[in-house]
Amino acid sequence: MYDPIRTGIANGWQHLDASTFAGDQQFSADVVIIGSGAGGGIAAELLSDAGFKVLLLEHGALHSSSDFRQQERWAYPQLYQDGAGRKTADQAIGILQGRTVGGSTTVNWTTSIRTPAPTLQYWREQFGVDFSGEHSLDPYFDLAAGRLNINKWALPPNANNHVLQRGCEALGWQHTVISRNVNGCANLGYCGMGCPINAKQSMLVSCIPAAMAKGAVLISRISARQFSWRGDRVDALWAVPVDQYFQADPRLKIKITARHYIVAGGAINSPALLLRSQVPNPSSRLGRHTHLHPSAISGALFNESIAGHSGAPQSIYSDQFVWPDDERIGFKLEVPPLHPVLMATKLTGTARAHADLMKQFNQLQVVIALLRDGFHPQAAGGAVQLDAHDEPVLDYPLTDYLWDGVRRAYLAMAELQFAAGANAVLPIHSDAELYRSWQQAKAAIATLPLQRYRATLASAHVMGGCNMSADPLQGVVATDGRHHQLKNLSVFDGSVLPTSLGANPQLTIYALSWKFTEQLIKNLSI
Amino acid sequence: MLLDRPAAAAAFPFRIIIMKRRQFIMLGVATGSVLALGLTAVPVLTASPQQQQDSAVLVLDALLPALLQGALPADAVARQAALRRSRDAVLQFLAFLPQSQQQQLRQLFVLLETDLSRLALTGHWLSLNELPIALRLQLLHAWRDSYLTVLQQAYAGLKELLFAAYYGQPQHWQPLSYQPPEFNPYV
Repeated sequence: MYDPIRTGIANGWQHLDASTFAGDQQFSADVVIIGSGAGGGIAAELLSDAGFKVLLLEHGALHSSSDFRQQERWAYPQLYQDGAGRKTADQAIGILQGRTVGGSTTVNWTTSIRTPAPTLQYWREQFGVDFSGEHSLDPYFDLAAGRLNINKWALPPNANNHVLQRGCEALGWQHTVISRNVNGCANLGYCGMGCPINAKQSMLVSCIPAAMAKGAVLISRISARQFSWRGDRVDALWAVPVDQYFQADPRLKIKITARHYIVAGGAINSPALLLRSQVPNPSSRLGRHTHLHPSAISGALFNESIAGHSGAPQSIYSDQFVWPDDERIGFKLEVPPLHPVLMATKLTGTARAHADLMKQFNQLQVVIALLRDGFHPQAAGGAVQLDAHDEPVLDYPLTDYLWDGVRRAYLAMAELQFAAGANAVLPIHSDAELYRSWQQAKAAIATLPLQRYRATLASAHVMGGCNMSADPLQGVVATDGRHHQLKNLSVFDGSVLPTSLGANPQLTIYALSWKFTEQLIKNLSI
Repeated sequence: MLLDRPAAAAAFPFRIIIMKRRQFIMLGVATGSVLALGLTAVPVLTASPQQQQDSAVLVLDALLPALLQGALPADAVARQAALRRSRDAVLQFLAFLPQSQQQQLRQLFVLLETDLSRLALTGHWLSLNELPIALRLQLLHAWRDSYLTVLQQAYAGLKELLFAAYYGQPQHWQPLSYQPPEFNPYV
């Protein structure tokens, strides 16, 4: 099968694997981009197109369609941060984040949603971040949609998503068919392990190849450790290779100099790089207010086959509860793809109870509720800190306000699953049981003790930590992604978001990076 | 006789509760003292990499058959192969975790194979692999329901690692009727 990356490299694209370097190295470029995900990929293409010499760095490896195995035991260690075992500091929330060329876009589930209007309004009011009128992101959503073939999913939803649709229809709840960045999708359901047929229009098969065709140099298996800076300018970036397990390997040093430095390593690693560099931080917001869309999970057993591993992983969402009228936290309803490891590790119970559920693997349907954190003092997000190894840990406090959202989410998901015809519903909580009716579930959920570890919580969206603001005392970067204090430093990834989005973040990051990069090209061209 | 029955029925659960509570208190007090005395770091600091690896193997070999009851194949040979595959998969995966998480796990494995700390963590003098399977499972549940964060984390972390290792193997998918497409074979 045609592999655009292998073909390009055979034809002279420049890719260096830092783990093979034999001695210290030095590189220079017009612009160095740290991280090759949604933010870094877009910037790499636009800058290369504009004639700038671009160096694109990625902590993960360069894997492409010829490498992707449709097995979690291969995909998680090779393509995900910490082998898909990343967690908050107290280990209460599991975090799925890509760590490979293309970043999370290589492994995400392709859901493409524009930034919700109430989120943009909140940013305008609270942070002076104005994307209205002439500053609108709309043209950039359109550009990204064109570039990445983002279209409403035209095929029927798979059974897992169909339950969400059916439940919403039965209850009269809002629901929407999801738009996806795919071209020639075979409806396989393995997006999370890297698309084997290059149908997903991730950065790996779109913007990064375009940038490399224009001369951008990609260095993989490299960990950016620290900036050296003086006054209001960065002088250099210091990096090291990583070993076969993606652990930073300080045996040799890599020095990189550039006119401009773009940080795009995701909302945990980007703040960590800036914290290690001890950059000016007058707002005290660097690494703070990190949001996760912490997600509660509800399983349900159906007579019919659900086979949640098969078919487009996400094609329906419901915003019935995402913007409540009162102060309480909102949540978005979606479904995840169901593969054995993902399911076995999230399900509660042990021994026979766990095994019995796993034997009903293809009858199990799962809904997730993504809590919209960041809009309330009791949902102010977490803080990225550095551990003894100088690696990031995210301390994310779980407040009563968030737990109230978890309980309401369990209720909504159970009601929906019964309305769609479930035989039994199981909130993924260690004190919950298989409930046989909505009435029984309702009564039981009302008294579930909501505590960390007892409720299984997960996140696939990390946002914040280098938030945009008009006022330098309210954020880390300006509304064009440039660092408030260091003139030749920008942040172009999910860490610039002042709150969570209340929607899956990839399209927001594409649009912001596109807008920021256009502005940067103008500034660099003067 | 008629009067005796309710009395016996009442006394029986009472005894169970007392036993459970005593065991629970002992577990908690002992663990608390070990943590307070800072003994936790000592065995790990003095353990060689080989001893750490041996501890990991012993602990995994003891806990996997408990956690995977009901999932493992009935046939003895197939069962042993499944257990070995799962243990090896855990050991191979550990290196991908952040150093801090790896250290925590190594510490847990060594503590569970060191007499005094094992007594603190499990309430038992016996090695994990000398305990009946039912008690090993009870132990995991005691950690889950403990008031100590480190034990809750130990339960959650081990459960995730062990289940991921087992259900990551294609040889264990037959009861799930799961058959992924294979564009590039796993080697």
